[in-house]
Amino acid sequence: MSPVLRILSRRLGISVIVLIGVSMLIFAIARVIPGDPARIALGPNATDDQVAAIRAEMHLDEPIVAQYGYFVADVLRGDLGESLYTNRRVTTDIAEFLPATLELVIVAGFMMVAIGLPLGILAARHRGRWPDHVVRVLTLLTVSAPSFVWAVILMLLFSFYLPLFPVAGRLNDSYDIARTTGFLTVDTLLAGNFAAFIDALHHLILPAIALALSGIGQAARLTRANMVETYDKPYIEMAQAFGFFPSRIARRYAFKPSLIPSLTIIGLDFAAMLGNAFLVEAVFAWPGLSRYGVAVILRKDLNAIMGTVLVIALTFLVVNIIVDLLIAFLNPRIRHSTRATS
Amino acid sequence: MSNLLDIRDLKLAFKGLSGLSEVLHGIDLSIAAGERVALVGESGSGKSVTARIILGLLQETPNARVSGEVEFDGRDITAMRPRDRARLRGTEMSMIFQDPTSSLNPTFTIACQFAEVMRRRDPRMKQAECDARATEMLTEVSIPDPERVLNAYPFQLSGGMNQRVMIAMALVNNPKLLLADEPGTALDVSVQAQTLRLMHDLVEMHHTAVLFISHNLGVVREFADRVYVIYRGRIVEEGPTDAIFHAPGHAYTRALMDAVPRITGAGLPEVPEVSDDFLAPMVRHDGGAA
Ligand SMILES: Nc1ncnc2c1ncn2[C@@H]1O[C@H](COP(=O)(O)OP(=O)(O)OP(=O)(O)O)[C@@H](O)[C@H]1O
Ligand SMILES: [Mg+2]
Repeated sequence: MSPVLRILSRRLGISVIVLIGVSMLIFAIARVIPGDPARIALGPNATDDQVAAIRAEMHLDEPIVAQYGYFVADVLRGDLGESLYTNRRVTTDIAEFLPATLELVIVAGFMMVAIGLPLGILAARHRGRWPDHVVRVLTLLTVSAPSFVWAVILMLLFSFYLPLFPVAGRLNDSYDIARTTGFLTVDTLLAGNFAAFIDALHHLILPAIALALSGIGQAARLTRANMVETYDKPYIEMAQAFGFFPSRIARRYAFKPSLIPSLTIIGLDFAAMLGNAFLVEAVFAWPGLSRYGVAVILRKDLNAIMGTVLVIALTFLVVNIIVDLLIAFLNPRIRHSTRATS
Repeated sequence: MSNLLDIRDLKLAFKGLSGLSEVLHGIDLSIAAGERVALVGESGSGKSVTARIILGLLQETPNARVSGEVEFDGRDITAMRPRDRARLRGTEMSMIFQDPTSSLNPTFTIACQFAEVMRRRDPRMKQAECDARATEMLTEVSIPDPERVLNAYPFQLSGGMNQRVMIAMALVNNPKLLLADEPGTALDVSVQAQTLRLMHDLVEMHHTAVLFISHNLGVVREFADRVYVIYRGRIVEEGPTDAIFHAPGHAYTRALMDAVPRITGAGLPEVPEVSDDFLAPMVRHDGGAA
């Protein structure tokens, strides 16, 4: 088996175990929260019989182990049950709200890599000189506040005092865009409505920056630190002795080898954005999974809670697998983990 | 006669927290075309910095103060613009280092690194041409299966193999001067001796001049035509290898010789404690090429 396949299968195995663990934990915790979900859903005017009917339908009177068994059986059939809050299938709800969150997180993750790494490279290449100092001060600033604080600050600055960006939402109500992927930047283009696309971007920028800022800072600082360490390696001196351009040395000799240790952490930061996105969504009234998640927790909507948590855990695990594969791709030691005889 | 390299009154100081600290106090050194010259001295005596000045690297370090003349192939390196200096590196002069495995980029194949070096001379070279030429060079350094080595990463090869690769890389552009800073001291003794012989034969064949840096007189004897002994930033003795070995004139040279009678693989020579004799004036043996 090739090393990459080996990594992939091991990761997949671990992921399944993690998913099972997370689902058990949340399943138990959700049922420990005080309050009867059937009663909350039906309201104070429902009769005891009505409540009992729902409880029976949801197997709520059976032992928790049996309940978990029903849950697993349903999940394996791709069924997450019905939400007592929206009265729709949980899968339908998630399909509606997840794309908004993913769009935000993907754009923020892209910013983290596309801005953070070059800043780190710039600082490392000019280590000890003014570009380095500027980058270090700026990035220290960005990492020193959590993203929801940045969300509030950015919103105050660029939506209220300088009304450059919209305050809330994903798209101006005047546009009516057919839903295909749920990613508005994609759907508007599919609909051929360029003005709506610009409007969607316009709505997306500020929350994405708020979400990305600390990640950009962390990626830049990490890249710089690992590159500065790599600059002391003998192969850098060798590259200099061969007269390669400093920019080439920075890219191929300092950045590339140092990216391998950086990447794991950048991947974790990216996954952590999923959590931070909840708070940023709250500030910008972004109709993503967070609103739904909070609402269903408050209503003790058991099926919806499980569904939301599982989807988030799954996304987290997928990101981790992608990062592992990227590292394997970048690091020849992993790709060729059999040592050639010499 | 005109030399390939002429260093006159080379001084170097580093600016540190406690003011200037002088490292080289006026070095004179010359190498004729195709000549093998050794620079020998204990750790910290200023050997590596001399090589880095010849390459033009230290001149670009902000806290280094370099003065004196370094004339390479008729041009003064110290007076050159950084770009012009960089143009000489990897083409007219090249360098090999102490630890071959950690001196190669761990994330590229040998073929890729060879191509990078060859494109210093001719940026338009295609990968296939580079591979063909690299295969030729690897055969010259007695690597039996060049294709496998070209496709390998440095960590897949032994230290001795990487050493040969590095020698081949350093010579592939036919430089006029090769700087070898304690090559292979990180390898074990027999491998080191073997690759040194190989390097000796190759530079002789290509008529490449070498500045061979070592703290070990034993190694130098096998390799060099002429020897400079450096002590604390000053040349204390200079002359043809035989002359120095038969009649070491300076107290420090004699001490060095007593300390290291043979090739050692690891560690620095037991340099004798400082004595006033070591500060005696320079001894010059006649009959050298310079
Ligand atoms: N960048 C630098 N900044 C300050 N001092 C330096 C720097 N590089 C070298 N030195 C000092 O210059 C002196 C000579 O160093 P050099 O590396 O040339 O020694 P060497 O003869 O090569 O010794 P070794 O056998 O240990 O390699 C040492 O005292 C060292 O501390
Ligand atoms: Mg040295």
